[in-house]
Amino acid sequence: MSVTTNTVLRSDEFTCPSCVEKIERKLHSLPGVVSAQVHFATGRIEVDHDSEAASVEDLVEAVAQTGYRAAPQAF
Amino acid sequence: MRRIRALWRWRRVGMSALLIGVGSVAGWLSPGTRAYPAALIAASVVAGGSIARRAAAGLRNRRVGIEALVTVAATGAILLGEVWEAAAVTFLFQAGDALEQITLRRTRRALTDLVEMVPTTAVVLRDGEQVEVPASRVVAGEQVLVKPGARIPVDGAVTEGHAWADESSVTGESTPVAKEAGDVVYAGTVTTGGLLTVEATATGRDTTLARIIARVEEAQEDKAPAQRFIEKFGRWYTPAVAVMAALAFGITRDTHLALTLLVIGCPGALVISIPVSIVAGIGRAAREGILIKGGEHLETAARVDTVAFDKTGTLTTGEPQVTEVVPLATDIDVDEVLAYAASVEQLSEHPLAEPVVAAASLRGLPLRGVSDFDQHAGRGVSAQVDDLTVAVGSERLMADMGVDVPQTAKEFVDQSAADGKTPLLVAVGGRVVGAVATADTLRPGAGAAISKLRQSGIRRIVMLTGDDRRVAQRVAELTGVDAVVAEQLPEDKLPAIRDLQRSATVAMVGDGVNDAPALAAADLGVALGRAATAVAAETADIAVLSDRVEAIGDALFLARATALNLRQNVVVSIATVGLLLAGVLAGQVHMAGGMLIHQLSVLAVIANATRLLRLRLPRSVDRRCRATMMGGDPVARPRDVVA
Repeated sequence: MSVTTNTVLRSDEFTCPSCVEKIERKLHSLPGVVSAQVHFATGRIEVDHDSEAASVEDLVEAVAQTGYRAAPQAF
Repeated sequence: MRRIRALWRWRRVGMSALLIGVGSVAGWLSPGTRAYPAALIAASVVAGGSIARRAAAGLRNRRVGIEALVTVAATGAILLGEVWEAAAVTFLFQAGDALEQITLRRTRRALTDLVEMVPTTAVVLRDGEQVEVPASRVVAGEQVLVKPGARIPVDGAVTEGHAWADESSVTGESTPVAKEAGDVVYAGTVTTGGLLTVEATATGRDTTLARIIARVEEAQEDKAPAQRFIEKFGRWYTPAVAVMAALAFGITRDTHLALTLLVIGCPGALVISIPVSIVAGIGRAAREGILIKGGEHLETAARVDTVAFDKTGTLTTGEPQVTEVVPLATDIDVDEVLAYAASVEQLSEHPLAEPVVAAASLRGLPLRGVSDFDQHAGRGVSAQVDDLTVAVGSERLMADMGVDVPQTAKEFVDQSAADGKTPLLVAVGGRVVGAVATADTLRPGAGAAISKLRQSGIRRIVMLTGDDRRVAQRVAELTGVDAVVAEQLPEDKLPAIRDLQRSATVAMVGDGVNDAPALAAADLGVALGRAATAVAAETADIAVLSDRVEAIGDALFLARATALNLRQNVVVSIATVGLLLAGVLAGQVHMAGGMLIHQLSVLAVIANATRLLRLRLPRSVDRRCRATMMGGDPVARPRDVVA
């Protein structure tokens, strides 16, 4: 049984909202990601994912592949 | 880590600048050699490498972004032999982007500062031992030790100890609040003066501060219709410019023009103009303990010209207090009058009973046993005390009980009412022996709030209240309110707001008790107070999280300033995009120049938004309301004037 967890990543490298869709698509392409939302205004990346299929590290790595550094946030 | 990475970016920018410099000098010293183009191509590669990488990532996700356009433009320029343009464009893109990151981080900072206020570890008592654990691992019900000067890691209730807490991170109010057993404390607030033991009630994402931050972020991310439109425009703009570049090349065969068009293909300033202002403005407000629930309310706040206060709970505390006790007979003193009144009132449920009983207990007066207690609806109460009939209430009650009201008592009643107080006559054994006056107390800062509203351009300030007209008039005079709509039943408030809305844009300020419908109906609903009910906080468009009524003025001021800032940004960025496009098509703006103007406009928009973070709040000019209480101390000294 898979359990969906909600992870919040934060990046302060967004300078143009054009990155939003790029990162969202990249995250969606990962197996185990149910939904991904990138907020340009606050630099928040919200991901609902099955942590077995896609770990938090996988998410960070996926964002890094699009050219942005992000880190998971405590709350 | 973040630092190192930022340094890397600057190193890349610095390297490319250095190569451009070296190349230019070499080109000037020995024109015609390979040194000049080689250095500039190297500069383009250093600065452009990561642009190309991001472009590739975008293309893999089927997005043609500005990075792709810049990469094509720079590559094209090199192929055309315009190495200077390629180096300058990539350098400017990177330098601008690095600066934008730093300045944007500052606008987003307002909130991350709050996040970082919560300590990551907590000291809990487990089996009598102090154990340090991650704050998010504390289980509700556990005892957490908070040392003086430390930040509290969890939400909880004090079980032991005394201390002061600076709750400004949660409420924006920096005056420390006393905390002792039973008091609620919030994660992220700082204690001084003592060791506290706190029973944890919420940790991590569930703490009040975390929930506030989440709400603020939601508000910052909430998109106003104008923003949605601009984003849609932005999504079409980049591909449209790419198509335009292709068309321009097809028609004019002018490669340079086509490449220049690509460079200005990012509507950068325009797409960030609204979000940066909103993030900065809402973030700034959050630091003051003010929650603005979304960008759309900023525009409304800017249009508001009339503010209606629901008096009780905003301008006044809604907790009446005894302001005067006077003996009206020669054989009785102040304490006896109060003791008789309180003894009877202790059985009453009328709102005025509690302050009378409280005043007696504050003076240490013992209450007597009573029998045959009777409530006379709307007039007062009566009972037997030591075989004497004691009546406490209005002149009407005295008449009902067959008690004669002497001239001195009549004068006291008239004077109290004229001062906005509610008088109670005290009769013992069929004779009026004294009187007590009670009054609602003004909130500290009520006058300052009104003066701040005027400073931010509010034309008319109206007070709605269920109170007697004279009481309301007195509060209006003390605070500087323009108009009073008094003697309103709760259900009258809604039509009163609708009435005001006919000729004005109205903000309604309330504490949420009885006024949720009016808050919802007003153009802008503002809820005030820690005690603001959940309903009001939900219905309101702006919520002030402390009891500081002054913050109402700050809230509207910040909302209006943000709305103005946002408009300035939109105007500047639309003008830049338009002028750049016209300049390029007219052949007046070239690649490096286009990129420079574009980056400068983005930085200008961000810099303008950061002004909101440093904006000075209006100073409170509180001339009209020096005294915070109406008629003096809550329990007034006896006045000897009436004997």
